[in-house]
Order: sequence, then structure tokens, then C-alpha cells
Amino acid sequence: MVELSTPAKWALRLVAVAYVFFLVGWPVINLAQRTFADGWTAFVQTFQDPDVTHALLVTVEVSLWAVAINTVFGVGMALLLVRYEFPGKRLLSALIDLPMSVSPVVIGLALLLVYNGRDGWFGPWLESRGITVIFSSPGMVMATCFVALPLVVREVVPVLEEVGDDQEQAARSLGGNAVQVLRRITLPSIKWAVVYGVVLSLARSLGEFGALKIVSGNLTGRTQTAPLVVEQKYTNFSPDEAYALSFVLVLISVLCIVVVSALRPKESSE
Amino acid sequence: MSIEISNVTKRFGDFVALDDVSVSLPTGQLTALLGPSGGGKSTLLRIVAGLEKADTGRVTIEGVDATRMSPQKRNVGFVFQHYAVFKHMSVAKNVAFGLEIRRKNKDEVRARVDELLKLVHLTQFADRLPSQLSGGQRQRMALARALAVQPKVLLLDEPFGALDAKVRKELREWLRRLHDEVPVTTVFVTHDQEEAMEVADEIVVINDGRIEQVGRPDQLYDRPANDFVMGFLGDVTQLGEVRLRPHDIEIALTPDLAGSVPGDVLRLTRIGFEVRLVVGTEDGREVSVVTTRAHARSLELDAGDRVWITPSSGASTVPAMKSLLAG
Amino acid sequence: MTTAVLSQDTRTVGRGRPGVRSTLTRGSALGLGVALLWFSLLVLIPLAAIVATAGGEGLRGYVDTLTNPQSWAAIKLTVGQSLLVTGINVVMGPIIAWVLVRDRFWGRGLLDLVIDIPFAMPTIVAGLVLLGLYGPQSPLGINVSNSRPSVALALAFVTLPFIVRTVQPVLGELEADVEEAAASLGAGRLTILRRIVLPAIVPAIAAGAALSFARAISEYGTLVLISGSLPYKTEAVSVRVLSFIEGGDRTSAAALASIMLGVALAVIIALDVVQRRVARRG
Repeated sequence: MVELSTPAKWALRLVAVAYVFFLVGWPVINLAQRTFADGWTAFVQTFQDPDVTHALLVTVEVSLWAVAINTVFGVGMALLLVRYEFPGKRLLSALIDLPMSVSPVVIGLALLLVYNGRDGWFGPWLESRGITVIFSSPGMVMATCFVALPLVVREVVPVLEEVGDDQEQAARSLGGNAVQVLRRITLPSIKWAVVYGVVLSLARSLGEFGALKIVSGNLTGRTQTAPLVVEQKYTNFSPDEAYALSFVLVLISVLCIVVVSALRPKESSE
Repeated sequence: MSIEISNVTKRFGDFVALDDVSVSLPTGQLTALLGPSGGGKSTLLRIVAGLEKADTGRVTIEGVDATRMSPQKRNVGFVFQHYAVFKHMSVAKNVAFGLEIRRKNKDEVRARVDELLKLVHLTQFADRLPSQLSGGQRQRMALARALAVQPKVLLLDEPFGALDAKVRKELREWLRRLHDEVPVTTVFVTHDQEEAMEVADEIVVINDGRIEQVGRPDQLYDRPANDFVMGFLGDVTQLGEVRLRPHDIEIALTPDLAGSVPGDVLRLTRIGFEVRLVVGTEDGREVSVVTTRAHARSLELDAGDRVWITPSSGASTVPAMKSLLAG
Repeated sequence: MTTAVLSQDTRTVGRGRPGVRSTLTRGSALGLGVALLWFSLLVLIPLAAIVATAGGEGLRGYVDTLTNPQSWAAIKLTVGQSLLVTGINVVMGPIIAWVLVRDRFWGRGLLDLVIDIPFAMPTIVAGLVLLGLYGPQSPLGINVSNSRPSVALALAFVTLPFIVRTVQPVLGELEADVEEAAASLGAGRLTILRRIVLPAIVPAIAAGAALSFARAISEYGTLVLISGSLPYKTEAVSVRVLSFIEGGDRTSAAALASIMLGVALAVIIALDVVQRRVARRG
């Protein structure tokens, strides 16, 4: 292996650490300092504001629905892509990644055009059957599903490929039916990949902003989510509440990262 | 002497890989470093190449003290077990790499690459990527790459270790012929005694960070310095107080030969032209004996027969471990 | 934590060739049907609706959008700043990845963890966090808010993990003996870095750069608070799309959105091409 000279090594180390510190580290620390600049009072008050607590509840509810749907879809899609051959598989695999590169605003607009109750493609028909999608929970769950769609699939696919289907064939040769093989062999072997995928999806879902701003209608006390409250509070000159809520959201996202990195087997085996 | 290694010691943490090793490897010859894995032979080779630094001791290559020299300056060719191909370069580019580093002019590089590809029979693969070659072809390419810069010594670390048995055998014969054509001082590491015996002019047996014996293949086989060398270079069995090779035991149906020991044939296996017997002697030991099929047939040997066994004249023997320790 | 999502060079899905025989059973075919229905309702039909709405008035929607000076300024700003930030990432990503893989120092694990924060942090919060250090009340005395550098700063923040996480596993899997082989052939440190290490990680850098660019041009949340979204100056494409939506001009919104979609598609195709080329190298 190339061994850099000591000055070069220190220079690279310094550049990398300084860049990450000034871009991410210090700003995050600064947020914590601002949140608790005047002790706990402002922080506690923020979470006594009914709009804030309601928004947090909406965020959690929408995220849990989206994560549940994405987990079922993700595991199923991963199984189909790895274990079966069918025409168009390659295209489908590429399309699954598409939501990663689509702007949240575009996602919001796309759902709006199809599902709004006034002139959407499907909206009026659904509305006449009593289902409101846009400016309501179904639309918010759909938008959140869209942004986090590939995360579970992309975690599970490589693990399924690595595990191979030897064990499944063995189980089948021992008389296991499809459901038994899935439940007793396949799912246990991809358990951790699913957990990573779920945690990643959760982090992504809790933080979604742009798409939800469009499809939720941003109605305070009704469809407003926590990230939307952060914007509103900050622009309405209540920065302390914005900081406090942001601090909690950062804490959750850091927690998600820590959980995933603790669970993930160390890739760099030395 | 081409490569002089004196008093080299190397530790990895608490593990002593080489313990005060001194050896001379002769110019123009093909030398094998033979021993079990973890015995220190690869470490020694890597120290000669400069890829590892010795804790103490000196390495001299062709009279030049190389102890503190970087690998770049040593002008040694090194071939790795897993080929270490440059994946993104064509076969020809791989071979040309060392020449381009030395800023040779283009025509010279092209001519030398052509010559080497011909030598390793890869001319028609010049423009392929290494991933399109088989393991054996990749290793030949790696060899051409190492030879391109006309190194003073060629070092090979388990060069055939990752190949399957048939390719291994082919390449080993081919290496021997190549060395006769291009007589560069060559040292190769192997844990396969058959490979060492077949290819090398001289074998250095290394075990536990120490050199057990240095000699020509037949010297080592016929006159092993100790029990370890004997055991590592071939099958060994114990008859009375000596250890010897199973084919160096005479077998007879009568106690005619002086010093013969009685025993019963416990098991008998025919493998091709040879017959392997296990004889239970009266002291409770099981002795392995190998004889030819013709001989076994002439004696009409079968399991359960009573036989008399004795070391054949001229058999290489070493005292059994117990008496060695006692002495 | 972004490793698996981003290191797509390890993926081998999609070996299915056209005309390949289906191996679906009745149960799995039903599953595929349901999955495709959901995928269509959620992703494909809505995206098609954007293209249909944009093209509803023929090419006029596109022409109007591109000739509208404010939209054109937004496109120029977004593409320009995204290219700038991707350029920064192309330099910084491999450096950070190198330090994470090859260097050993106290705090390396923390550095590795912090890299993922931008990926997991809500975008609006990211904007707020940056505003705290680089806004009007900056303890450093640096205020970039409502200026072009603020756009670059926000985009650099959200795209930080991409190249790091694509290069890191490739660098980690580089075999030591390849570099040793180059050294014994006489190659010095810089030559080994330039001719052996760099070519090995270039596909990963390219993949990461494509993802980073795609993310940058589509970014919205991080920009809201810090850029000020000043027309002609700091207004990004996604902000412009949103103001079209809020203004009820869905045709213009859809036209601008479909241009962004086109770029996203182009990036995905480019990624696929790079990966297939790498897979061939083996």
C-alpha cells in the first residue's frame, strides 16, 4: 500500500476534518448552542405549543405509514428482482432508483396533477367516492413513499444476491412450501438489511419537506408536519421554536445514523 | 553469491516471523523457499523485495547493500499469488508499466513488450483486459511484467497457489524451462514440497522463522538434517527407534534378514502401481510400508499375514523425535 | 449509512436480457402485478402527468419557460452552482474517503459518522443549521445568506456524502499487492496514486458525481431559508417551480419540472453506462 509521507498524511487529514467540521460539525454544534442559549425554558415552551405537538404527531403518523408500505413493497420488489427472471426487469430495476434523483418539488407537483380533487387525472373520481388525496393524509403518505421508495430495495437486493438461493432450495427439497421457505429461510437471512432500510427510510420520511409542502397544503394544526413548522416558525420570527424543533429532528436523524452504523457489519475488515 | 541475508529478524507484534535468519541465495539459480504456511518464508521474500522492513539484519543484492533501499530502487521483479494485475490496463500496458516508469522510448517499449508476450505465449492477448484472461494467463502476464524491466532477481510469492492442479503443474514445468532460457536469479516461495523438488535447483526449508536446512532437492530428500525436514519432504513412518520413508522398508515372509521385526498386515491398499500396507508390530506401533505391486503379488500379501520388516540398505533415517530430545 | 444506497457499482440486478424467459410463478406474478400497479400509481403516472401537462400546449410550454428570463436565470444558477459543488465534491470526496480508509487517527469513527448527517437530516433543518453559522448572526462573522455562495454552501452540505460513500468501499477493496507490484516495478508514490489508485476509483467518483449533481439540481428544502430565493440572483429551479405552483401556473411549473426530470433521467442512464463499463472490467 502507498504510504504517504508524514506531512502529506497530516495535510490530507487536516483538510478532510476541517472541511467536514466547518460544513457539518460546527453548524450542528452551533444549533445545539442556540437551542439551549437561555437554558431549557424556550425548549420546553416549544413543545407546549399545540401546533408543534400536533405537527410532530402528523409527521410520525405519516412516516410510519410510508415506512410500512415501503418495507412491504421494498422487500417484495427485491425478491422479484433477485429471485425471478422476467422481461423488462432491467428497466424496472433502473426505474426504482428514479425517485432518488427527482426533486421533491417535482414529486409534489406530479402527485398534485394526478390526484387533486378539482382537475386531477384521478382526483375527481376518487373524491366522488369520498377519498381526498391532496391536502390530506393519503397524499402525504404517497409523497413520503415516493421520496423514500428505493431505500429498502437497495439495502435488501445486495444481501439477497450474496446469500444466494442454496438454502431456499435445500428447504424446498426438505418439503417446505413457498410460505414456509419465505418465513423461515429468506426473511431471517435479510433481517438486518431490512432493518437498515427501515431506519434509513424513517430518517428520510421524517424529514421530507418540499413534496409535503405541496401536497399537504401546509394547514397549521391539520396537515402541517414538523419540518413545515420549522420553516413557518423561523419566517414568522419565532426562531427559538424553530431551533428547538430542529434540534429534536437532528437528534432523531443522528440517532438513526448511529443505529445503522452500529448494526451494519464492518465492511473494512482489516 | 547474489542475495545475502544476514541475521534478519522480523516481528509482527508478539509474533516472531523471522528469527535471526542468515542465508545466501546463489546467482543464476532457481531457489525455492519451502515450508508450512506461517513459517516466515513469504516474509523473507518480501524483505528481499523491500516490501517489508526487517527489524534487524542486513540484505545484500548483487553486492549492493539493500537493507534500507526502497522497493522502487531495488530492481527486483515480484510476482504475487493473486497476480496483482492492473485491472484498468490492457495486457500490453501491464507489461509496459515498468518500462514506461523508466521513461524508455516508445519503440523500445513496444519491442520489449512484444518480445516478452511472445516469451509467455500471450501475443494474441496483448489488447485484452486482464479480466478476460484465465488465472494461468494472468500469472504469465504478471511474470512478463516483472521480467520486462530486466530485474537483477525475480521473486515469486506462491506464484501457482491460486491455480487449479492441472494448470499448476503446467506452469511449474513452464517456469523451469523459462528459467533455463532466461537465467535470472529466481527465488520462489511455496508450501508444496513436490513443486519445490520438481522446479528448484536449491531448496531452503523454513519453519517457525528459522532455516531448517539448505540443499539440492535430492540432498534434502536423501539426507534430511532433522525430523522436520524429513517429514515435510515426504511420507515418514517409524520403525523401532528410527524414522524413515515407507518405501525404504523391506518386507519379507520369513525372518531371514538381520534385524528384521515381526508384525501383522493390518490393512492393505492398492493405489496404481504401488501397494500401501499398515503393519502392526509387537511393540504396538503401526508402521506404514510401501512396496510395488509386483513385489506384493510375488509375496501373495493379504491382510492378516505375518511379515518381517526391516530398513532397506541405504535408507535415509533420522533418530525418532523422542531419542532426539533425549540426546 | 448511505453506503449501500450509493455504492451502486456493486449492484448486479438487471441481468435480464430482452426476450429472456420469465421464471415467475403464479404467486410471484401476482406480487409483481400489485407492485407494478402501486409503482405506476405512485411514480410513473404522476411523472407522466408532468410531461403531459407541460406538453399540453405543444412545445410552447417549453419555449415560454426557457425564454422567460427569470426561469432561465434560475436554470443557469442551479446548473452552474450544481456543477461548482460537484467539482468541489470531486476533489473533497476522494480526499475524505482516502482519510477514512487509509488513515488511522483518533476521531476517525466520528468523522465517518458525521459524513452521513446531511443524508439523514431534514433539508429545512439543514438550511437552518447552516444559517446559524453562516447567516446574519454568524459567530464567525461570515454572512453568506441571500447570496450566491449560500446556494453553493447549501448544495455542498446536502451532497457531501455522495462521492465519499461511493469511493470509500472501492478504495477499501483495492488490493495491497497491486500497489506493491507497481512499487517493485519502480513506480514512486505519486505515480502509483496517479496510474494505479486513481484509475481504480474514477468510475466510483463518476458515479458519485452523477448522484451528487442530480441531488444538487433538484434540491429545494435546504435553499429555502438560506438563499432568500431572490429572483435573478439566488432563486433555484425548484423554488421557481414551487412559485409557479403557488401562482396556479401549472403548465410552466410542469415544463420546468420536466426539464429537471430529463436531467435526472440522463444522469441515471449515464450512471448505468459507467457501471456496465466497470462491470466489464471485472
